[in-house]
Amino acid sequence: MKLYARSAADLARSIRSKEHSVAEVVEAHLSRMERMEPILSAIITPLKEEARARASALDIALSRDENPGPLTGVPFIVKDNFCTRGVRTTCASRMLEGWVPPYDATVVRYLEEAGAVLIGKANMDEFAMGSSTEHSAFFTTGNPWDPRRVPGGSSGGSAAACAAGYAPLAFGSDTGGSIRQPAAFCGVYGFKPTYGMVSRYGVVPFASSLDQIGPFSRTLEDLLLAMEVIARPDERDATCSRALRPDFRKALDVTDLRGKRVGLVKEFEGYDIDGAVIESLRSAREILIDAGASVVDVTLPTVGHGLACYYIIAPAEASSNLARFDGVRYGFSAEADSLIELYHKTRQGGFGPEVKRRLLMGTYVLSSGYYDAYYNKALKVVAILRGEFDRAFSEVDFILAPTTPTLPFRKGENIGDPIRMYMSDLFTLPANMAGLPALSLNGGYSEGLPVGIQLIGPRFGEMEIFSAAAVIEKSLGLPRLAGGVL
Amino acid sequence: MALSFQTVIGLEIHVQLATKSKLFCSCSTDYIGARPNSNVCPVCLGMPGSLPVVNGRAVELAAMVGLALGSKVQQATRFHRKNYFYADLSKGYQISQFDLPICAGGLLVFDDDEGKEVRVAITRAHLEEDAGKLVHPSVDGRLAGALHSLVDYNRGGVPLLEIVSEPDITCPPHARRYTEEIRRLVRYLGVSDGDMESGSLRVDANISQKVSDGRWGSRVEIKNMNSLRSLERALEYEVKRQRKVLAEGGEIHQETRHWDDGEGKTRSMRSKEEAHDYRYFPDPDLPPLIVTADRIEALRSLMPELPWQAERRLVDAYGLGADDAKVLAESAAAVAYLDGCVQAGAEAKRAANWVRTEVLRVLNERKISIEAFPLKPESLASILALVDRGKLSTTAAKDVFDVMVRDGSGLDTAMAAAGVVSGRVEGSRLEEIVEKVLAENADAAEAVRSGKDPKDKKIKFLQGLVMRETRGQADVAQVASLIARKLS
Repeated sequence: MKLYARSAADLARSIRSKEHSVAEVVEAHLSRMERMEPILSAIITPLKEEARARASALDIALSRDENPGPLTGVPFIVKDNFCTRGVRTTCASRMLEGWVPPYDATVVRYLEEAGAVLIGKANMDEFAMGSSTEHSAFFTTGNPWDPRRVPGGSSGGSAAACAAGYAPLAFGSDTGGSIRQPAAFCGVYGFKPTYGMVSRYGVVPFASSLDQIGPFSRTLEDLLLAMEVIARPDERDATCSRALRPDFRKALDVTDLRGKRVGLVKEFEGYDIDGAVIESLRSAREILIDAGASVVDVTLPTVGHGLACYYIIAPAEASSNLARFDGVRYGFSAEADSLIELYHKTRQGGFGPEVKRRLLMGTYVLSSGYYDAYYNKALKVVAILRGEFDRAFSEVDFILAPTTPTLPFRKGENIGDPIRMYMSDLFTLPANMAGLPALSLNGGYSEGLPVGIQLIGPRFGEMEIFSAAAVIEKSLGLPRLAGGVL
Repeated sequence: MALSFQTVIGLEIHVQLATKSKLFCSCSTDYIGARPNSNVCPVCLGMPGSLPVVNGRAVELAAMVGLALGSKVQQATRFHRKNYFYADLSKGYQISQFDLPICAGGLLVFDDDEGKEVRVAITRAHLEEDAGKLVHPSVDGRLAGALHSLVDYNRGGVPLLEIVSEPDITCPPHARRYTEEIRRLVRYLGVSDGDMESGSLRVDANISQKVSDGRWGSRVEIKNMNSLRSLERALEYEVKRQRKVLAEGGEIHQETRHWDDGEGKTRSMRSKEEAHDYRYFPDPDLPPLIVTADRIEALRSLMPELPWQAERRLVDAYGLGADDAKVLAESAAAVAYLDGCVQAGAEAKRAANWVRTEVLRVLNERKISIEAFPLKPESLASILALVDRGKLSTTAAKDVFDVMVRDGSGLDTAMAAAGVVSGRVEGSRLEEIVEKVLAENADAAEAVRSGKDPKDKKIKFLQGLVMRETRGQADVAQVASLIARKLS
């Protein structure tokens, strides 16, 4: 098997056993990236020389029999809103086109401490606002299963890169589905952890109360390996839990789901969902039942208001989070004769249209006189939704749901219709609003395109999801590497 | 009928808390004189992806002020974002508190200049972060004429406690007294240096007038009062201005006015319509701050005596005059020093007098705090004991004190160095001194001897010289009779 087609766990094992050098592994992935990139455009900043230098340093350390980390020599890719010391971090925005942070995101630090090798920074929708990468200020990424289609977003570059074998592991951020929706579109695993499971420090925020950082992978084992590295406390993030994390990889051994109850959300049935998605859900349900689980209907009466509330809360927080881009300290700064003109011209020229749309919405809903009608009301609805999830999870161990209502759409198909674009996060954003862990996994293929399904767990109920995913993976097999034919 | 007016004032006092590190990061708060932008990090520079973490010490200091003011220290409190654009604000918002401040309610009781009791209720006290500082590199340092502006973020993120009073203050002198009292409190507790000139204590005032015909003038906010004197002057000016407008049938509009100390005037900065919409909302980066009941109780048990309590005790227990007690109770260290002297056996009033005059004089001269004062209270008490027993005159004691402070020496060494002998100068030693003085002042001695000193001027002069030689440690009557005998 080609090195770029192998899993992170497999690569780490063969590096540890000295079957392959880190340099060989890294080179194989760099050349895969080089070959595929003209078709996919998944990467904003490739880090070839940096990765080669790091590979040789790791090989030297290994030759001295220094104790390797769990991911030693494993290439990885991060979304370009993860701060990387000395490497530009653009958020796919003109605003930060040349910005080089003087610090690493905690997650990047944890991964590098574990021996992983960063080989590139992936395309995304500008400031993580979008579902297709079409809102990147630089270019749109192609779906590795059909480059005329979008890879999803906002972490579309990371998902496409992982699916196409640039790296066995990629990382993204998920505010309303930005990991899971592209994972579904690209046919890989994509996991949004419980809010507070992974440090957000150094990842440029979209909406702080909803953002979580998570991995993409092509095997469940890799996903759990990545989680063990990144899901750790961080004193720099006050919202990051200090509790001990479970031994995630224990879930890999699960074959038996007897006594487990799977919830199906009644309200989700009313939506217009692609037949292939329904078919994948049905077969996943059968697999779970075969493993001994029972299936129960649960109800989330308020979930229908989720989209509206999301588009109040997320823009509200974003309008404040993005206020710092004023041209004074870093990033794009327009020529101006006064402070107010500097603000106007910098923000006018630095932000793209979708970002501006959301900043306007967010500023509006927080304004005096509208705060109670919008922001405060949305928070109340979220509190109710959380209560409904709590009730549901007193009856079931996890929920099985679609990840997206459709298969990957064509580039340009939804770009002029923001509401239709927003609809693609319909099934993913409730987990963000309730702070729940949720996994998108590949549930099969339809006419050459992957179909995603989603497992949602209770807060800090990661093990429930991973156990169910282990059973499904054993039955369906591993997702395929994309772009083999290209 | 002539109109009468009632002044209504409420104050917002920002106190910089004396923590070592900033409110949300570990950068040093020591910004005065520091190289611009040297005490900064991704957090206080508001760099993308950086996150705030609350400084627990700042929370404790804020709670101490609350406990001192009789506020309810809230167990569940949280931070909000106050959104506005300005170049000294690195994130485009200030992290502050809004609906759940750390301290709620409270009361400050103090005497006015005439000794009359004044009671001002406290609305709240909340934590927030300071902004950076703009520097305008024009010739005179003012915005006008500067070609560009520079920002120094060293101050950005320094913890502030904003103490908000109810509009219970009825005249400018009371506003000044209230501010003095808050300043004394924060200094006494060691939570701030309370220095208005350097900006570690800043006062904004809301002032309005109630007219006897039933009209109310709108509230006007006054900013930029950088000393107690300018606070009082600005408010006096504003009382006159508002009364004049209202007396002439005009209206006072809600606005913010800027005090110009040079001109001695306030001028309009912005009207209500131009006021910011701060779009407050809970900061999602900071989970609710829980201060447990145990922690509050622990703090309460650690609370030192408060300045007004100390002031009372100095009067009641030590019998000090009101004035001495007030001066000493400006500083917890001064009170502790006095207590140390008393515990070491010094008589309280005499010790208080010495602390107030001699000790504070040295502190002022050397610009040191009382903690750094070289003489321990026990040592001062041992000097005072000699004075009490008549073994050392006050003059000699001061010489000894000065030597001990200067050299850090012990009592005996200092007495030798000061040429002072413990106990009375009498007998043959006194006689020697008298003879020496008479020999050195032969003219005066001769005048007395030959009866040419009708008004006893010269003999008093000679007595004075002897007393000075003995550093006051001889008996005046004895000196007089000795001189008389020698010159008869």
